[in-house]
Amino acid sequence: MSADPRRARIDHRVLEWMRESRWSYGEERFEALALELFAFQFAHCEIYRRYCEGRGQTPEKVETWRQIPAVPTSAFKEVELRCFPAECTEHRFRTSGTSTDVRGTLHLDTLELYEASLLPTFRRFVFPEFLMPEDRAAIRVLAPSNVEQPDSSLSHMFAVVLDALGEPGSDFDVEHGKLQFDRVLTVLVESAASEVPIALCGTAFALVHLIDHMNERGVLIGLPSASRIMETGGFKGRSREVPRNELYAEIKRVLGVPAERIVNQYGMTELGSQFYDSVIRAPSEPRRKLGPPWARVVIVDPETGHEAATGQVGSIVVVDLANTGSVLSLRTGDLGRAVLDGFEVIGREPGAEARGCSIGADEILDLESP
Amino acid sequence: MTPDEIAENFARLRAAGERLKRRPIGEVLDALGAVLDAWRDPRSHWHRDLIERLPAATGFSAPTVAEGLRRALEGWTGDALRKLAIRELGPIEALDTAADRRVSGFETTAVLLAGSLPMPSLLALIAPLAVRSPVLAKCASRDPLTPHLVAQSIAEADDELGRCIRVADFPAADEGCTQALLEADCIWATGSDATIAAVQSQVKPPRRLVADGHRFSIAAVAAPESAAHRADLARRLAVDVALWDQLGCLSPIEVFVADPDPSHAAALGEALALALADAERNWPRGSIDASAAHAIAQQRAEAEVRRAAGRAVAIHLSDSTAWTVIVEDGIAPRPAPLHRFVRVVPVPDREQLLAALEPVGAQLAAVAVEGFGEESERLARALAELGASRVCAPGSLQSPPLDWRHGGRGVLAPLVRFADIEPLR
Repeated sequence: MSADPRRARIDHRVLEWMRESRWSYGEERFEALALELFAFQFAHCEIYRRYCEGRGQTPEKVETWRQIPAVPTSAFKEVELRCFPAECTEHRFRTSGTSTDVRGTLHLDTLELYEASLLPTFRRFVFPEFLMPEDRAAIRVLAPSNVEQPDSSLSHMFAVVLDALGEPGSDFDVEHGKLQFDRVLTVLVESAASEVPIALCGTAFALVHLIDHMNERGVLIGLPSASRIMETGGFKGRSREVPRNELYAEIKRVLGVPAERIVNQYGMTELGSQFYDSVIRAPSEPRRKLGPPWARVVIVDPETGHEAATGQVGSIVVVDLANTGSVLSLRTGDLGRAVLDGFEVIGREPGAEARGCSIGADEILDLESP
Repeated sequence: MTPDEIAENFARLRAAGERLKRRPIGEVLDALGAVLDAWRDPRSHWHRDLIERLPAATGFSAPTVAEGLRRALEGWTGDALRKLAIRELGPIEALDTAADRRVSGFETTAVLLAGSLPMPSLLALIAPLAVRSPVLAKCASRDPLTPHLVAQSIAEADDELGRCIRVADFPAADEGCTQALLEADCIWATGSDATIAAVQSQVKPPRRLVADGHRFSIAAVAAPESAAHRADLARRLAVDVALWDQLGCLSPIEVFVADPDPSHAAALGEALALALADAERNWPRGSIDASAAHAIAQQRAEAEVRRAAGRAVAIHLSDSTAWTVIVEDGIAPRPAPLHRFVRVVPVPDREQLLAALEPVGAQLAAVAVEGFGEESERLARALAELGASRVCAPGSLQSPPLDWRHGGRGVLAPLVRFADIEPLR
């Protein structure tokens, strides 16, 4: 819990919400907490205060949580956005990236909200059939452990998940940066033989490596039907690029897990909460990203800065009450569109081709990387 | 168009090319020169058609197309085409008669077009014909109009040349059609590095590949001495940025201001913002998709954060995403969202300017230079050594001469086979 009494009170109320066994998406409750947290962060994070003032937005002027100025997640690469003194920093999560990328840093004075947010969300969307707190599953994680990568929020998340939801023997399967192919395959083969379902979690590029390895060896495994896969992240600089539909088709072919049992997680280091595909929880409904009640998404028309019309492609802005120590409203680098009560992430405009012959956007950064 | 149809077109083009080869090259150049003259003339129906129809096809505003064409084509005359041929191939008369050399266009040339700017399409269709090579062009998905109009204009001017040109429309993802197109004897491909790499992997010798990857331009100026000079420089830079909505490789994405005092860069940034606002009134920026608007909004917000963190960053922007000027406080590489988004970057001196450009030199197309007095020539040479293939004055970036050696190579020379014939007994 934060040492600042005003923030501790906010933290307490957010934690209460996170610990409720039944989720309620009350708008008034979110509104009140979001506006209070905005006022706190405006007062305690000087960079954020100046940013808001530059946009003519102050707690006196902001009337709804949708008006809270959103900071681009990329800002964490250049500035420290925190609402507590530097000496109170307990933990730093750093964004992933290749060796030449500038990496962003999230400074935290407590992990309590982060952990309290991630578990019920993971459980709800990856293991919706878990009714009792003691329910467990066999889980393998295709990512480095939090011991190996203490600054990875993803590794930390998986460690919490393994601890709370994993059966004995569940573990990480990346060691010293290498995917332990033999070990993973042994576990998967055992799962298929014993018909005990397994949950395979990890980064998309680790799954690509696993599939490539299995293809090279001609290995096909039919995992039990209640098995599932949770994947997250992109590919840049880590493996060959594979469109998600192709990845899912390959997963089905080599592991026997159909797309409706594969959940993509949308999360990032700068966020305390995560969003998941709805497919396991609501298999008969359109695939879309859903999150916990204490984190909301707005699709913003990048041309006007106003909320986009339903179905219109726009910038994904996340307002996350779990971010009490940094900034609650973040503008992600992704495009998306609203779908029913959730959203879908579409990355760049589908099928977009460069309109001219000039180098644009990130290409220039790729050029300048040594 | 199907792969079979592309093969049939090549067969027809080869037959037409046989007749084309027998024509005196001077006659061919005259006919194509007349085509260029027609395109340059604002009263010609081709010129007017393009202004009228290109906005719907590409998203550019009509005033932008009109001004862009006026400036780009002002030097693209029939006379300029002849001079280009002489410079790169030798005296025109000798091309048909010289005993000591042969200059031959390829039996067929395929052109893969990219982007939505019309001038590269015009040049890419005329250049192979100028060396008497029949041409099959694949339209860019962003501009399905210009190649067809150019082909029609050539056919109108010269029936036989018209039979030597075909335009293909098929999606870039159609591998069968692409493969069929790459059966040409010479391939001129334009596009992103990924596109060029994909084409390169499929084109094997003896086929000739001429590749134009994406490039970018910048401006490098010394601090203007007076407010009037600053306003004039800003107005000319704004033309360079605004035309073709900054999407061409000749559009500057950064303006480097070499001066120990960074306030000069800030002042030029302010003037450039006023000039871009003016440009927007005269030549409104065209429509953009959500992805482009998102990139602009993202870069604006990042700059706001840097400013909020106490960095000396100045931000000038339109109410919409129509134009943006960010005055930076350092040379750190940053994304270029294009669509009239320009960064003004202070550098203490010429040496540090060159050091900043060194990592990206190979991708430089052109540099607009002004204000370095006697040092200008040395700077121009250094920029050329870095990789720039054109150094010019601000305000003229969008008016490249017809014989500009884009990418550091010629226009016609890469499209021909030279043979030197030594005295024989």
